[in-house]
Amino acid sequence: MASEPKWREQYPIDVERDHYVTRRGFATLLTLGSGLAVLANAIIAAVGEWIRRPARTGEGVFVAKASTLATGASILFRYPTGEDPCILVRTQSGVLRAYSQVCTHLSCAIVHEPASDKFFCPCHHGYFSAGEGRPTAGPPTRRLPRIWIEQRGDDLLAVGKDS
Amino acid sequence: MHVRQGIKLLTAISAFIATLVVIQLWLVAASLEALYSDDTAVLVPATVASAVLFLVNLLLLMWGRGKV
Repeated sequence: MASEPKWREQYPIDVERDHYVTRRGFATLLTLGSGLAVLANAIIAAVGEWIRRPARTGEGVFVAKASTLATGASILFRYPTGEDPCILVRTQSGVLRAYSQVCTHLSCAIVHEPASDKFFCPCHHGYFSAGEGRPTAGPPTRRLPRIWIEQRGDDLLAVGKDS
Repeated sequence: MHVRQGIKLLTAISAFIATLVVIQLWLVAASLEALYSDDTAVLVPATVASAVLFLVNLLLLMWGRGKV
Protein backbone atom coordinates (compact mmCIF):
# COMPACT_ATOMS: atom_id res chain seq x y z
CA MET A 1 0.00 0.00 0.00
CA ALA A 2 1.16 3.53 -0.76
CA SER A 3 0.44 4.85 2.75
CA GLU A 4 2.52 2.06 4.41
CA PRO A 5 6.03 3.04 5.54
CA LYS A 6 8.82 1.24 3.74
CA TRP A 7 9.94 -0.73 6.79
CA ARG A 8 6.50 -2.33 6.96
CA GLU A 9 7.29 -4.28 3.83
CA GLN A 10 10.20 -5.99 5.58
CA TYR A 11 8.41 -6.43 8.94
CA PRO A 12 4.86 -7.38 7.99
CA ILE A 13 3.81 -8.76 11.39
CA ASP A 14 1.27 -6.55 13.15
CA VAL A 15 2.09 -7.20 16.79
CA GLU A 16 -1.18 -5.81 18.17
CA ARG A 17 -3.30 -7.87 15.82
CA ASP A 18 -1.15 -10.94 16.53
CA HIS A 19 -1.74 -10.65 20.29
CA TYR A 20 -5.44 -9.99 19.90
CA VAL A 21 -7.47 -12.63 21.74
CA THR A 22 -10.86 -13.30 20.31
CA ARG A 23 -13.85 -14.06 22.48
CA ARG A 24 -13.79 -17.56 21.10
CA GLY A 25 -10.13 -17.98 22.08
CA PHE A 26 -10.86 -16.63 25.57
CA ALA A 27 -13.72 -19.05 26.08
CA THR A 28 -11.48 -21.90 24.91
CA LEU A 29 -8.79 -20.83 27.39
CA LEU A 30 -11.32 -20.77 30.21
CA THR A 31 -12.49 -24.28 29.34
CA LEU A 32 -8.87 -25.44 29.34
CA GLY A 33 -8.50 -23.95 32.82
CA SER A 34 -11.62 -25.82 33.82
CA GLY A 35 -10.02 -29.06 32.68
CA LEU A 36 -6.89 -28.28 34.67
CA ALA A 37 -9.02 -27.73 37.78
CA VAL A 38 -10.53 -31.20 37.33
CA LEU A 39 -7.02 -32.63 36.99
CA ALA A 40 -5.92 -30.88 40.18
CA ASN A 41 -8.93 -32.26 42.05
CA ALA A 42 -8.24 -35.75 40.73
CA ILE A 43 -4.61 -35.60 41.90
CA ILE A 44 -5.71 -34.44 45.36
CA ALA A 45 -8.25 -37.26 45.55
CA ALA A 46 -5.60 -39.80 44.48
CA VAL A 47 -3.19 -38.56 47.14
CA GLY A 48 -5.90 -38.73 49.80
CA GLU A 49 -7.25 -42.14 48.84
CA TRP A 50 -4.14 -44.11 47.95
CA ILE A 51 -0.96 -42.37 48.98
CA ARG A 52 -1.58 -40.90 52.44
CA ARG A 53 -1.98 -44.01 54.50
CA PRO A 54 -1.21 -44.25 58.24
CA ALA A 55 2.30 -45.50 58.82
CA ARG A 56 2.04 -48.68 60.84
CA THR A 57 5.03 -50.54 62.15
CA GLY A 58 5.13 -54.22 63.05
CA GLU A 59 6.63 -53.64 66.46
CA GLY A 60 4.67 -51.70 68.96
CA VAL A 61 5.65 -49.41 71.78
CA PHE A 62 4.11 -50.36 75.11
CA VAL A 63 1.69 -47.73 76.38
CA ALA A 64 -0.33 -49.20 79.26
CA LYS A 65 -2.22 -52.21 80.55
CA ALA A 66 -5.79 -52.26 79.26
CA SER A 67 -7.15 -53.39 82.64
CA THR A 68 -5.76 -50.29 84.35
CA LEU A 69 -7.67 -47.89 82.09
CA ALA A 70 -11.19 -47.31 83.36
CA THR A 71 -13.99 -45.71 81.33
CA GLY A 72 -13.35 -41.98 81.08
CA ALA A 73 -9.72 -42.31 82.16
CA SER A 74 -6.71 -41.17 80.17
CA ILE A 75 -2.97 -41.82 80.09
CA LEU A 76 -0.19 -39.71 78.67
CA PHE A 77 2.62 -41.32 76.73
CA ARG A 78 5.22 -40.46 74.09
CA TYR A 79 5.19 -41.88 70.57
CA PRO A 80 6.97 -42.32 68.18
CA THR A 81 9.79 -40.32 69.81
CA GLY A 82 10.28 -38.83 73.24
CA GLU A 83 9.45 -35.44 71.79
CA ASP A 84 5.92 -36.42 70.68
CA PRO A 85 3.37 -36.23 73.52
CA CYS A 86 0.28 -38.37 73.06
CA ILE A 87 -2.85 -39.18 75.04
CA LEU A 88 -4.74 -42.48 75.33
CA VAL A 89 -8.34 -42.45 76.54
CA ARG A 90 -11.11 -44.94 77.08
CA THR A 91 -14.21 -43.07 75.93
CA GLN A 92 -17.58 -43.19 77.69
CA SER A 93 -18.63 -45.88 75.20
CA GLY A 94 -15.66 -48.02 76.29
CA VAL A 95 -13.64 -47.59 73.09
CA LEU A 96 -9.88 -47.02 73.31
CA ARG A 97 -8.60 -44.03 71.34
CA ALA A 98 -5.17 -42.41 71.20
CA TYR A 99 -4.18 -39.11 69.63
CA SER A 100 -1.36 -36.67 69.51
CA GLN A 101 -1.63 -34.35 72.50
CA VAL A 102 -0.60 -31.38 70.37
CA CYS A 103 -3.49 -29.08 69.52
CA THR A 104 -3.80 -28.56 65.76
CA HIS A 105 -4.44 -24.84 66.27
CA LEU A 106 -1.27 -23.50 67.90
CA SER A 107 0.33 -26.64 69.41
CA CYS A 108 -0.78 -26.33 73.03
CA ALA A 109 -1.20 -29.50 75.09
CA ILE A 110 -4.80 -30.73 75.13
CA VAL A 111 -6.41 -32.36 78.17
CA HIS A 112 -9.22 -34.89 78.44
CA GLU A 113 -12.52 -33.89 80.02
CA PRO A 114 -14.28 -37.11 81.10
CA ALA A 115 -17.56 -35.31 81.88
CA SER A 116 -18.07 -34.16 78.30
CA ASP A 117 -15.97 -36.94 76.72
CA LYS A 118 -13.99 -34.35 74.80
CA PHE A 119 -10.48 -33.01 74.58
CA PHE A 120 -10.04 -29.41 75.68
CA CYS A 121 -7.31 -26.99 74.68
CA PRO A 122 -6.91 -24.41 77.45
CA CYS A 123 -4.99 -21.91 75.30
CA HIS A 124 -7.84 -20.80 73.06
CA HIS A 125 -10.72 -22.95 74.31
CA GLY A 126 -10.79 -25.43 71.48
CA TYR A 127 -12.63 -28.74 71.79
CA PHE A 128 -12.13 -32.08 70.02
CA SER A 129 -14.36 -35.17 70.13
CA ALA A 130 -12.79 -38.12 71.93
CA GLY A 131 -14.23 -40.64 69.50
CA GLU A 132 -12.78 -39.19 66.27
CA GLY A 133 -10.49 -36.37 67.32
CA ARG A 134 -12.45 -33.91 65.18
CA PRO A 135 -12.68 -30.28 66.26
CA THR A 136 -16.13 -29.51 67.66
CA ALA A 137 -15.70 -25.95 68.95
CA GLY A 138 -13.19 -23.13 69.07
CA PRO A 139 -10.45 -22.12 66.63
CA PRO A 140 -9.00 -25.54 65.67
CA THR A 141 -10.02 -26.66 62.19
CA ARG A 142 -7.99 -29.86 61.76
CA ARG A 143 -8.45 -33.22 63.35
CA LEU A 144 -6.00 -34.54 65.96
CA PRO A 145 -3.51 -37.00 64.40
CA ARG A 146 -4.54 -40.46 65.51
CA ILE A 147 -2.19 -42.96 67.13
CA TRP A 148 -3.03 -46.56 66.19
CA ILE A 149 -3.29 -48.80 69.25
CA GLU A 150 -3.13 -52.59 69.18
CA GLN A 151 -4.16 -54.75 72.11
CA ARG A 152 -2.12 -57.90 72.65
CA GLY A 153 -3.51 -59.64 75.67
CA ASP A 154 -3.66 -57.01 78.37
CA ASP A 155 -0.92 -54.88 76.77
CA LEU A 156 -1.77 -51.80 74.75
CA LEU A 157 0.85 -51.04 72.11
CA ALA A 158 1.21 -48.01 69.86
CA VAL A 159 1.86 -49.32 66.35
CA GLY A 160 1.46 -46.34 64.05
CA LYS A 161 0.49 -42.74 63.58
CA ASP A 162 -1.58 -40.88 61.00
CA SER A 163 0.60 -38.85 58.66
CA MET B 1 -26.63 -15.43 13.00
CA HIS B 2 -26.03 -11.70 12.99
CA VAL B 3 -22.51 -10.68 14.01
CA ARG B 4 -23.65 -8.65 17.01
CA GLN B 5 -25.81 -11.49 18.27
CA GLY B 6 -22.86 -13.84 17.93
CA ILE B 7 -20.64 -11.50 19.93
CA LYS B 8 -23.24 -11.21 22.67
CA LEU B 9 -23.71 -14.98 22.75
CA LEU B 10 -19.98 -15.66 23.06
CA THR B 11 -19.66 -12.99 25.74
CA ALA B 12 -22.46 -14.58 27.73
CA ILE B 13 -20.96 -18.04 27.32
CA SER B 14 -17.54 -16.77 28.44
CA ALA B 15 -19.07 -15.15 31.53
CA PHE B 16 -20.92 -18.34 32.44
CA ILE B 17 -17.85 -20.52 31.93
CA ALA B 18 -15.79 -18.09 34.06
CA THR B 19 -18.34 -18.42 36.87
CA LEU B 20 -18.15 -22.20 36.76
CA VAL B 21 -14.34 -22.08 36.72
CA VAL B 22 -14.42 -19.95 39.89
CA ILE B 23 -16.60 -22.62 41.53
CA GLN B 24 -14.13 -25.29 40.40
CA LEU B 25 -11.25 -23.32 41.93
CA TRP B 26 -13.18 -23.18 45.19
CA LEU B 27 -13.60 -26.97 44.99
CA VAL B 28 -9.82 -27.37 44.59
CA ALA B 29 -9.17 -25.18 47.65
CA ALA B 30 -11.80 -27.04 49.70
CA SER B 31 -10.34 -30.41 48.65
CA LEU B 32 -6.85 -29.34 49.74
CA GLU B 33 -8.19 -28.23 53.11
CA ALA B 34 -10.03 -31.55 53.50
CA LEU B 35 -6.85 -33.46 52.60
CA TYR B 36 -4.89 -31.66 55.30
CA SER B 37 -7.69 -32.35 57.78
CA ASP B 38 -7.64 -36.08 56.89
CA ASP B 39 -11.26 -35.78 55.79
CA THR B 40 -10.87 -37.96 52.71
CA ALA B 41 -14.58 -38.72 52.32
CA VAL B 42 -15.23 -35.50 50.37
CA LEU B 43 -12.35 -35.79 47.90
CA VAL B 44 -13.94 -38.10 45.34
CA PRO B 45 -17.34 -36.31 45.35
CA ALA B 46 -15.55 -33.00 44.87
CA THR B 47 -13.67 -34.43 41.89
CA VAL B 48 -16.90 -35.75 40.37
CA ALA B 49 -18.58 -32.36 40.85
CA SER B 50 -15.63 -30.60 39.23
CA ALA B 51 -15.74 -33.03 36.30
CA VAL B 52 -19.46 -32.36 35.80
CA LEU B 53 -18.80 -28.61 35.72
CA PHE B 54 -16.04 -29.17 33.19
CA LEU B 55 -18.40 -31.17 30.98
CA VAL B 56 -20.94 -28.36 31.16
CA ASN B 57 -18.23 -25.88 30.16
CA LEU B 58 -17.14 -28.06 27.27
CA LEU B 59 -20.66 -28.54 25.96
CA LEU B 60 -21.34 -24.81 26.22
CA LEU B 61 -18.16 -24.00 24.34
CA MET B 62 -18.91 -26.50 21.59
CA TRP B 63 -22.46 -25.25 21.25
CA GLY B 64 -21.34 -21.62 21.17
CA ARG B 65 -18.70 -22.26 18.56
CA GLY B 66 -21.22 -24.12 16.45
CA LYS B 67 -23.66 -21.24 16.58
CA VAL B 68 -21.20 -18.43 15.82
